[in-house]
Amino acid sequence: MNKIRPWKMILAVTMILSLLSACGSQGNGNANAPTTPKEDATNSATDNATPPDPLGKYAETVTVTEVLGYNPPEDPRTPSGITPEQNAYLKDLKEMMNIEVKYKWTVPSAQFEQKFSLAMASGDLPDVIEVDQKTYEKLKKQDMLADLTEAYDQYASPALKAYMDSDGGFAMKTFSADGKQLGIPAFEDPFLSTQLLWIRQDWLNNLGLQAPKTIDELEKVAQAFTNNDPDQNGKNDTYGIAMQKSLFFWGFDVRGFFNGFGAFPSVGDNQSAWIKGSDDKLLPGLIQPEVKTALGKLQQWYKDGIIDKEFALKDENKAVEDLTAGKVGISYGEWWYPNWPLNSSVDKDPKADWIAIQLPGIDGPAKSLVPKIRSNKIFVVNKKMKNPEAAIKMLNFYIEVGNKKYKDKNQAADGYVYNWFNPRIANPADIDTIYTEVNKALDANQTEITIDDANYKTVADTFKATKDFLAGDTTNASKGVNWGQYYSRAAKDGGWGLTRQIKENQQFVYNEFYGLPTATVVEKGGQLDKLMQESFTKIIMGGSIDDFDKFVDSWKALGGNQIIDEVNEWYSTEATK
Amino acid sequence: MKSLKKEYPLHIMLIPGVIVTLIYAYGPMAGLVMAFQQFEPLSGFFKSDFVGLDNFRYVFNLPDFKQVLWNTLVIAIIKMVLSLLVPLILALLLNEITKKWFAGFIQSAIFLPFFLSWTVLGGVIIELFSLNGPINGLISSIGLEPIMFMLDNGWFRGIIIGSDVWKGMGYNMIIMLAAITGINATLYEAAEVDGAGKWKQMLNITLPGIAPIIILLSVLGLGGILNAGFEQILIMYNPTVYAGADIIDTFVYRLGMFSQQFGPAAAVGLFKSVISLFMVSTTYYAAYKFNNYRIF
Repeated sequence: MNKIRPWKMILAVTMILSLLSACGSQGNGNANAPTTPKEDATNSATDNATPPDPLGKYAETVTVTEVLGYNPPEDPRTPSGITPEQNAYLKDLKEMMNIEVKYKWTVPSAQFEQKFSLAMASGDLPDVIEVDQKTYEKLKKQDMLADLTEAYDQYASPALKAYMDSDGGFAMKTFSADGKQLGIPAFEDPFLSTQLLWIRQDWLNNLGLQAPKTIDELEKVAQAFTNNDPDQNGKNDTYGIAMQKSLFFWGFDVRGFFNGFGAFPSVGDNQSAWIKGSDDKLLPGLIQPEVKTALGKLQQWYKDGIIDKEFALKDENKAVEDLTAGKVGISYGEWWYPNWPLNSSVDKDPKADWIAIQLPGIDGPAKSLVPKIRSNKIFVVNKKMKNPEAAIKMLNFYIEVGNKKYKDKNQAADGYVYNWFNPRIANPADIDTIYTEVNKALDANQTEITIDDANYKTVADTFKATKDFLAGDTTNASKGVNWGQYYSRAAKDGGWGLTRQIKENQQFVYNEFYGLPTATVVEKGGQLDKLMQESFTKIIMGGSIDDFDKFVDSWKALGGNQIIDEVNEWYSTEATK
Repeated sequence: MKSLKKEYPLHIMLIPGVIVTLIYAYGPMAGLVMAFQQFEPLSGFFKSDFVGLDNFRYVFNLPDFKQVLWNTLVIAIIKMVLSLLVPLILALLLNEITKKWFAGFIQSAIFLPFFLSWTVLGGVIIELFSLNGPINGLISSIGLEPIMFMLDNGWFRGIIIGSDVWKGMGYNMIIMLAAITGINATLYEAAEVDGAGKWKQMLNITLPGIAPIIILLSVLGLGGILNAGFEQILIMYNPTVYAGADIIDTFVYRLGMFSQQFGPAAAVGLFKSVISLFMVSTTYYAAYKFNNYRIF
């Protein structure tokens, strides 16, 4: 299963350490240097006449240390108590390439950002790191990044190259400077960010309602969900629409709601999204008048009890609790909801029947905001590293083991935890490959999928779950889990199925800015976040709607105007239009 | 010199403590240099550019800084006063309880929350005061409108202060109780002979007897004048109560940790330390000058 998780959840960093340790500028005497071989024999690939083998084995062990922020293994069949050190992928990596991974530290991913900040502050930088755009920019500025051009050209496997070329080299170009490739982006289909509306069909049926197409219809449905006992348990214990304190986040937020009003405040990172204005300038979506209209509606819904009175206290986990407990029947979000957390809702209440619909708008279905590029994970290599190509080889390794011949081996039950392995790049067209291949096999009534390349594992997993779900077979996984895989990836009216239709029918608006955070965003972003969160939350909770105008003024004065200039400067010089 | 010779085993015993202090308290002070640098983590102290007082100027000119400083002062001062007063009253009351086992029980019960971490307690308090929590249950049961405690600036500040005092009161109370036990019992006997009641005894013997400890605790407390309880607030606050509960530490946390602006964060840290040093010195001096009392 290769679930593409929301970017905030993926915070893992890889570190490959060969000949250096304790390299921090402060020279801490901590010389726990792993034994490292002389690499002369294997590292002279550049002078070698024979072309280097992307999957070749080092003659002597290259020791690699990593740091990792990890989530629990996704597959319930994973042996309990397994640690990242015991991940079976690492054993195979050693066998296949003679690269040995050692973890310097591992923390639950929630603590990763902080731990990594500290590691950075103490100059204790690993060799190969998974970074976000912001960190990438920092490291680039300090000239800490190795040039990967050569290593990539020589060592990248055809599969890796095909992935990177799949967007015409757009993402790779974004992470290069002066002809040097400074990072390998793990980018994904930007349409994965398409906002949908998830709603409980069984509740609609109970109340004799239709799936809403407009905001007004949605309001009626949500009101009925709040007041008319949609779960028919005789108690007034439900409300309309899930929401949490971060208004623009990676899930259970209200990005889609704003899109319904033609407002495009953010792609989910609290920073503004940028839409094209009439004079070929980019406008910050966050401060457009449509946002005010949407906030006004949200304020009314808050008053009516359609959204949780205490949403401002609740994080995404609390919102998820309400969804799975059957307390709320509507949530804005992306294609993957059935995979998590709606699968738990189905397992808890077998009657729960979630469907995806296009965002309700003012007069009919509305367009979703979509980023131009979706890449918040970039693999970079420390300049001091002796074997930058080892990072590329590890990427090759992960793609390689997705092939059919490894199928019986890489089972979660045997300790293969894919989301702990780094560096790891999935097919950017992963989801669409799954969708097309599974549907092809279904339509032809096949019992096996025919594809036989690096995508085998992910396609086969979904196909199996789909078959099981359609046959009502719960021997391998629960109904919810099977349904989740099927309805998120393969169903024609499901998460990705609907997203494809939205893409085909041009029902989207691009966030035109895809550059790295500008100088002012890096410096003032935190304050602008605070200002936005505070102002918007207060308005929703009953403040004066005209405070929005004050917010716009403050936003501009606090650095917004500079950001507008910087973004437009970028747009006129660097953007590919 | 003579006394040094006599006491040298004691001085030797001090050495480990001194070493630890040197390493963990004095050593890191070198890091304060960050406050004057455009600190780039990977360049380290030696290669980062010096920018003079720019970091301070930057922080003090942040539009929210005044409000944040004000919040910090208000919360810290009220907390400080209450966490002296409440334990004092408790200690005096407990001292009057004659049944040993009962006093011991109460004492433990009051001390207990001190050992709980804010991470746990913060969650508990949020639940207690939530719209569906027991406190609002009580309020609605007597026919009043439920209150959104955690989303209201006034209430929130009160809860922050109240829960902090409640959590910490056991500690100071124990110290004060210990001081009370140290008072010479003959004084009370003499007072009784002179016909002083419990009230008079408390005013004229107990309070003067523990005055040094109270002064000590206030001086130490004043050192924390800008510490309004980072951990607690970080766990319990939310954007709606920024106006009343965003303090210097949470502000710097967002600034430093998430925007990785280490220079300004260090500048604020230094600023806080300087203020603390000033407050401690002043109170120490004042205690000496007006009361002729020295701690050291």
